[in-house]
Amino acid sequence: MSRPDIRALVLLIAGFTLWSAAFVLLYALQALGCAYDWGAAHRPILIGTYLASLLPLAWLALRRPYETGEPQTSLSRAALWANRAALGAGILVFLPVTFATTCL
Amino acid sequence: MSEPISPIRLHKQLERIWMTPSGIGRLSSVNHTVLGKRFMVVALTFFAIGGFLSMLIRAQLATPHSAFIGPEIYNQIFTMHGTVMMFLFAIPMFEGFVIYMLPKMLGARDMAFPRLTAYGFWCYLFGGMILIGAMLAGVAPDSGWFMYTPLSSRPYTPGINADVWLLGITFVEISAVTAAIEIFVSILKMRAPGMALTRMPLMAWYMLVTSGMMIVGFPPLILGSILLELERAFDLPFFDPTRGGDPLLWQHLFWLFGHPEVYIIFLPAAGALSTIIPVFAQRQILGYRAIIAAIVAMGFLSFGLWVHHMFTVGIPHLALAFFSAASALVAIPTAVQIFAWLGTLASGKPKWDVPMLYVFGFFFVFVIGGLTGVMLAMVPFNTQVHDTHFVVAHLHYVLVGGFVFPMLAGIYHWMPHISGRQSLYRLSVPAFWLIFSGFNLTFFQMHLTGLMGMPRRISTYPSNWGWDWLNLSSSIGGFILTMGFALVLADMVLQFRYGRFFRRDPWQAQTLEWATATPPPSYNFAAIPRIDIRADGLEPARIGPVQAGGAGYLGFAREDRQETMGVDMATGAPEHVMILPRRTYLPLWTALATASFFLAMLFGFYALAPFGALATLILFLLWPASLGQKRDQGPVDIGMGEKAPLDVECDSNVSVLANRAAIVMDATLFASLLFGGLFLLVVAPNWEGMTPLDLPLWLAGTALAAAALAGGASLLARRANGRGGRGGPWLLATVLGQIAAVAMLVMLALALPEPTAHARQAVILALISYGALHCGLGGLMAGHGYWRLSQGYVSARRQTEMVLAWLWNLYAGAALVPALGLIVLLALEGATP
Repeated sequence: MSRPDIRALVLLIAGFTLWSAAFVLLYALQALGCAYDWGAAHRPILIGTYLASLLPLAWLALRRPYETGEPQTSLSRAALWANRAALGAGILVFLPVTFATTCL
Repeated sequence: MSEPISPIRLHKQLERIWMTPSGIGRLSSVNHTVLGKRFMVVALTFFAIGGFLSMLIRAQLATPHSAFIGPEIYNQIFTMHGTVMMFLFAIPMFEGFVIYMLPKMLGARDMAFPRLTAYGFWCYLFGGMILIGAMLAGVAPDSGWFMYTPLSSRPYTPGINADVWLLGITFVEISAVTAAIEIFVSILKMRAPGMALTRMPLMAWYMLVTSGMMIVGFPPLILGSILLELERAFDLPFFDPTRGGDPLLWQHLFWLFGHPEVYIIFLPAAGALSTIIPVFAQRQILGYRAIIAAIVAMGFLSFGLWVHHMFTVGIPHLALAFFSAASALVAIPTAVQIFAWLGTLASGKPKWDVPMLYVFGFFFVFVIGGLTGVMLAMVPFNTQVHDTHFVVAHLHYVLVGGFVFPMLAGIYHWMPHISGRQSLYRLSVPAFWLIFSGFNLTFFQMHLTGLMGMPRRISTYPSNWGWDWLNLSSSIGGFILTMGFALVLADMVLQFRYGRFFRRDPWQAQTLEWATATPPPSYNFAAIPRIDIRADGLEPARIGPVQAGGAGYLGFAREDRQETMGVDMATGAPEHVMILPRRTYLPLWTALATASFFLAMLFGFYALAPFGALATLILFLLWPASLGQKRDQGPVDIGMGEKAPLDVECDSNVSVLANRAAIVMDATLFASLLFGGLFLLVVAPNWEGMTPLDLPLWLAGTALAAAALAGGASLLARRANGRGGRGGPWLLATVLGQIAAVAMLVMLALALPEPTAHARQAVILALISYGALHCGLGGLMAGHGYWRLSQGYVSARRQTEMVLAWLWNLYAGAALVPALGLIVLLALEGATP
C-alpha cells in the first residue's frame, strides 16, 4: 500500500479518533476534578482542553482532499466529510463544559 | 497452468479440493458457505426459542394478577428472551450471513481463516447449548440480560444461574471476536484483484466498520464477565461496595459494550438495505461517499453514548450533558443513510417485490424507534420513563425495525442464492402483513403503558391502573406476530422444496455474489474476475459464465491446494496467493476442549479447569503444523499473465494483519481493566483510611526489565532472520526472558496480602495476572517461532512467525508499563503525600 493510500485511509478515521480521545480525556478530567476537588481550576482546565481538542479537529476538517487519483481521491473526500462531522460533534458534545454543573 | 480445460472438468477438480464430505465428515467442514449456513440455521433456531419465550412473557402479562407462571420462572424467561435474542440470534445471524456472503461479494473463495470460522461456530453452538440446557434444567440466568450487580452477585444469586450467563455468553462471544477479526482481515486483504476500497460494495464498508467496532466493543463485556465470575467464584470484590468495589463499574463495562452492540447489530442490516434497495430502485445507490462517512461517524459516535443507559444512577450534570448530546447526535449519520435510501428510491424506477415490503416495514418501524431514541436521549424525559415499558417499546422498534425487518428483506432477496430456487410468493405477503400489524399492535401499546408508569420486568400488575386493555391487545399482537413468523418459516421450507429454478441473477442485481452458480459451489469462483469498476454496478450474468470457464485469476487447480487471491488493502492490486487450510476435525476438538474449561468453571471444578485450558492451548498449537512452506518458491503463476508470491513469502499477509487486530482487541480489554482500576480508586466507596500495601515492588521492576529484554531479543531475532542470519538463539533468549518475567510476577502475586479483602488487592491481582499471562504468551510465541524455524518453515523471506513473536513480545513488555504503574499507584494509596 503506497503512502498516499495509507494517508487517505488514516484520514478517514482520524477526526473521530481524535474526537474519541478528547471525549475520554474530558470525561476523565471531569471525574478527577470532582474526586480530588480541583475547585475553581476545574472548569478552566475543562474549557482549555475543549478548545485544544477542537484545533486538530478543525485542521482536519479544513484540509483539501487529495486529487491524486483513485482510491485516494474518493477516500479523502469521504474523510473530509467524516472529519467535518467529527468537528461538529466535538463542538456540540463538549460544549457543556462551558456551562453545566461539573460535580453535581 | 494455463492449458485450456473444460468448465465441467475445472469444476470437478476444484470441487474435489474444496468440498465438504458427507456423513460424519461434515463435522470437519471449514468451508465458509457451509459454516455460514450452519450459523444462520442455528441462529434462526435460537430465534424461534427466543420467540417462544416472548409468547410466554405476553401470556403472563395479558391479564392482571396472572398466575400463569410464577415470578421466579418469569425472571428466567425474560432474562433468557433478551439473552437469546441479543447473543444467540442477532449477532450470530449476521455473522452467518456475512461469513456466507462476503467472500462471494468480494470475489474470494473463502474467509481468511477457515478453521477459525469452524472453531467459532462450535463455540457458539456449545455455548448456546449450555444456556438452553440450563433453562430446561430450571437454572437459567434470572438477573436480566444485562446482569446488573449486586443482583447477579453471589449473595443475591447464590445458585449457578448467573454463572451460566457469564460463562455461557463468554464462550459464545469467542465466535464473535474470532469472526470480527476474520471479517476485518478478509475485507481488507481478500478481494477480487482491481477492487479498490472505493470500489467495494457498501455492504463491505458496513462490515469493515462493524468488525472494527466489534474488535473494540466486545472486550469490555468480556472483561466485565471475567471480573464478575472471579468475584462469584473466588470472592475477589470488584463490584462489592462494602470492600471497595462498585456495582457501577459493571454497568460501565456492560454498556461500553452494550450500546455499540445496538449499532453492531444495525450496521450489517443497513448494509443489506444498501445492497437491496438499489436493486429494486434499479439504479446505483445515491451518496456512496456520504454513506461511507456516515458509517464511520456512526461507528465512533456509538461509543460515546453508553452512559445514556445510566442517566438515573447519579451522574454529574456535565457528564449527563456529554452523553445526552452524543445520543441525540447519532441520529444525524443515521438520517444521512435513510435519506440516501429514500433518494435512491425516489430517483430510480422502483419495482415492487416481496423484499421491498420488508424494506417498507423497516422504514416505518425503525424511524419510530429512532425518534423515540432521540426522546430518550433527553435526560429529563429519560428520567421520567426510565425502566418502564416505554424503553421496552423503543428498543424493540429499534432492534426489530433495524435488524429483523432488514433480515427478512435479506432472506427473501438472497434465499434464491442459497436454495437455487425462487419463492412462489404465496405466503410471503400475508406473512409480512401479519408481522407488520402484529409487531405494531404488540409494541406500540408499550409506549402508552410505559408513559402510564408500567415498569419493566414485573410479572404481574394490578387491574385498576388502566393498563389492562393495552396489555391484552399487546399480547394478542404478539401472537399475530408469531403467526407471521410461522408463515415465513413455512414459506422458506416451501421455497427449498418446491421453488422454481432460475438461471443466474434473478433480480438483475449488480453485485458479484450473483455471478456464482446458485446454489454456489464450494469454491465460489472457478476463476476470480478482475474488477475495474465499482462493484455494485457489475453485470453478474456476463461475469458468471466467463469465470466458470476459468478465465480470470487462479482459474485452475494447483497441487490440491485451496488457493485464493490476497490483494493490496487500498488499491486491490494483486499482492499474493493465499493457501487456505483444508477440512479438519481440529476446530471441533479444540472447541470441545474449550467447552471442558467452561463446564469445569461452571460446575465449580476449578482444579480441572486449567486442564481444559491446557488442552485447548495444545490443540491450538497443532493448528499450524500442516501449514507453511519449507522452501522459498518465489512468484507463481496467478493467471491473466501475472505472477505473485505465496502468502508465506509476503510481509503483509493476513496472519500478520489478524494478529495486529487481535492485539488491538487485547489492548482494549487491558484499557478497560485500567479504566476499572482507576474508576474504583477515584469513585468507589470504602477507599478512605487505607494504608499503603507492603509489596516487594522490586519484583515488578525486575519483571519489567526481563520482559523488556525479551522484547528486545525478539526484535533482534526478527532482524537477524531478515538478514539471513540465525534468529534461533535470540528467540531462545526471548523465551528465557519471559520465563523470568513470569516467575517475578508470580512471586509478586504470592506476596500480595489478602486479595479478597479489598478491591485494591483484587485489581492488583488482576493486573499481575494479565501481565504474567501476556509475558507467558510472548514466550510461547517465541518458542513456537523457534520450533517452526527448526522445522525449516522460516527463512529470510518466510518470516511470519518471527514477526508474530516480535509483535506479541513487544505488546507484553509495553502492557507491563501501565500495569505496573497502576499497581504502584494502588499500592501507595493512603501514603502521606
